Amino acid sequence: MASKFAIQASGLTKIYGQAAAVNKLDLNIQSGQFYGLLGPNGAGKTTTIHMLTTMTSPTSGEARIADQSVLDDPVAIRASVGLVFQDSALDRMMTVDENLQFAAALYNLKPAKANQRINELLSIFGLEKKRHVKLVALSGGQRRAVDIARGVLHKPRVLFLDEPTIGLDLPNRRAIWRFVEQLRKQEGMTVFLTTHYLEEAEACDRVDFIQQGELQHGGAPSSLIRDLAKYILEIDCADTEAVNQALSPRFGNPVWEDQHLTFRVKDKDVDFSELQRSLGQSVVSMQWRRPNLNDVYLWTVCPPETGVVT
Amino acid sequence: MKNWLAVKAVAGRELSKVFRQRGRLISSMVRPLIWLLVIGSGVGSMLQGPEQEGYLGFLVPGIVAMTLLFAALLSALTLVYDKEFGVMRMMMIAPIEHYWIVIAKLIAATITAMVQALMLLVILALIGLVEVKIALLLLIPAFATAICCAAIGGLIAAWSKTLDNFAVIMNFFIFPLFFLSGALYPVSQLPELLKYIVLINPFSYGVDLMKHAVPTATSDFSIITDIAVLLTFSAGAIVIACWRFSRESVHEPLFHRASKKG
Repeated sequence: MASKFAIQASGLTKIYGQAAAVNKLDLNIQSGQFYGLLGPNGAGKTTTIHMLTTMTSPTSGEARIADQSVLDDPVAIRASVGLVFQDSALDRMMTVDENLQFAAALYNLKPAKANQRINELLSIFGLEKKRHVKLVALSGGQRRAVDIARGVLHKPRVLFLDEPTIGLDLPNRRAIWRFVEQLRKQEGMTVFLTTHYLEEAEACDRVDFIQQGELQHGGAPSSLIRDLAKYILEIDCADTEAVNQALSPRFGNPVWEDQHLTFRVKDKDVDFSELQRSLGQSVVSMQWRRPNLNDVYLWTVCPPETGVVT
Repeated sequence: MKNWLAVKAVAGRELSKVFRQRGRLISSMVRPLIWLLVIGSGVGSMLQGPEQEGYLGFLVPGIVAMTLLFAALLSALTLVYDKEFGVMRMMMIAPIEHYWIVIAKLIAATITAMVQALMLLVILALIGLVEVKIALLLLIPAFATAICCAAIGGLIAAWSKTLDNFAVIMNFFIFPLFFLSGALYPVSQLPELLKYIVLINPFSYGVDLMKHAVPTATSDFSIITDIAVLLTFSAGAIVIACWRFSRESVHEPLFHRASKKG
């Protein structure tokens, strides 16, 4: 019977020299799930993807994609995954069509089938008119879209997106996410995303935070946010010690960045205007807002006790 | 063959680039023509009697072989170019064994070299330096030599991480392979030490095999020896290049560089 998991890893470890890039990683990602592996630069996200896609072999541990071991049959694994690299893997001197035809042939797609699939994807990405334009003449967002189209040409069971929106402006980032969402809906593929734009991962079914190669904390974004706090209170202080002494007994330790203190507020009935008045001259400005995944990261992976944001 | 489409695509991409850059293709004829017409005439004028008459004819197989060497080696080095510019990752993530990428690139390198050799032979036939039937005959040993040159290129590319050391490749591989091959002078007239170097240079046997097709050129080895060395060397070099290229450690810098970011 086919496993309900698209990706499984157990004790997955990669050591470069003396340093563990990924340390004893365990993953169980269900088929069709939109999964996010989040963390700062150098946390081990890309190394994890490379081990899961057979681009590098683990030092120890094992991983399975759609029930097949990544060590036993790398060619079969590569047939069932799509990988969109952090920076483009396309030939900038070739046209969109030439790049996609080339990729399709690498996946053994016959020309008629390849053409049909390329038409379909260019239509999803709104790039029909750019088909015979060289990559070098496209915008960063369009190039990224072609990269994603390249990654899903062969209808993979699992799509790995390694920082897919890095270096893109907001409209392009939003467009890329619309395409990914459309692809997920149409093709039901499992998507494994890494990003350090944490707000982009709020659409995931599940996220895990990774720090120095180790998984830290995870869950559904909505429940992680809900469990974190009702509000996030940010204060620019004239006197940080006074504000800290006044508020930490009630809200707990803040995240402390120079003159800026951030508290998490679990009580939904706080009167912030009254609070601001009570703090008087110690406060320069104060704002409260709903928490997001950035706050979850700050409070769980980089908690105030262990040091504060750098 | 299961991987035929992929091999065809990788080789086809290289060839389409070669044929698109027509200027480069035409300029690739400049080097061998300068060697033949300028150096050949210059050196030939210093020789005496029949040697003077025959030097240009002697030079033809060597210069055609030189064209094959430069074309095949530079084409095989696109393996390094693709690694450096990231396109290699598109091939590495494809569901094919990685050695097929090397084989496809070497097929393209062989074809590219043959196209340039053919162009040169047409020019030489047109200006009357080579008879048409000899030009046609030269294509057979040229093919064996092109495979050997592509295999040498594959070996170099499998060990090269970046194109930064292109000058090193030119100075340490291409020039010694060419100058120590008997392409410009008969091996028998070289000092003893250099003769031994020529003997261990696989390209020498390609040049020699081509000399067998030209009546005015004196060969140093038998046809059987030339073919045996070329076949054995080419097969061995291709296997080693494929093995080396399939080793993950060769590509780790390519991926590890990206991994350091996240």
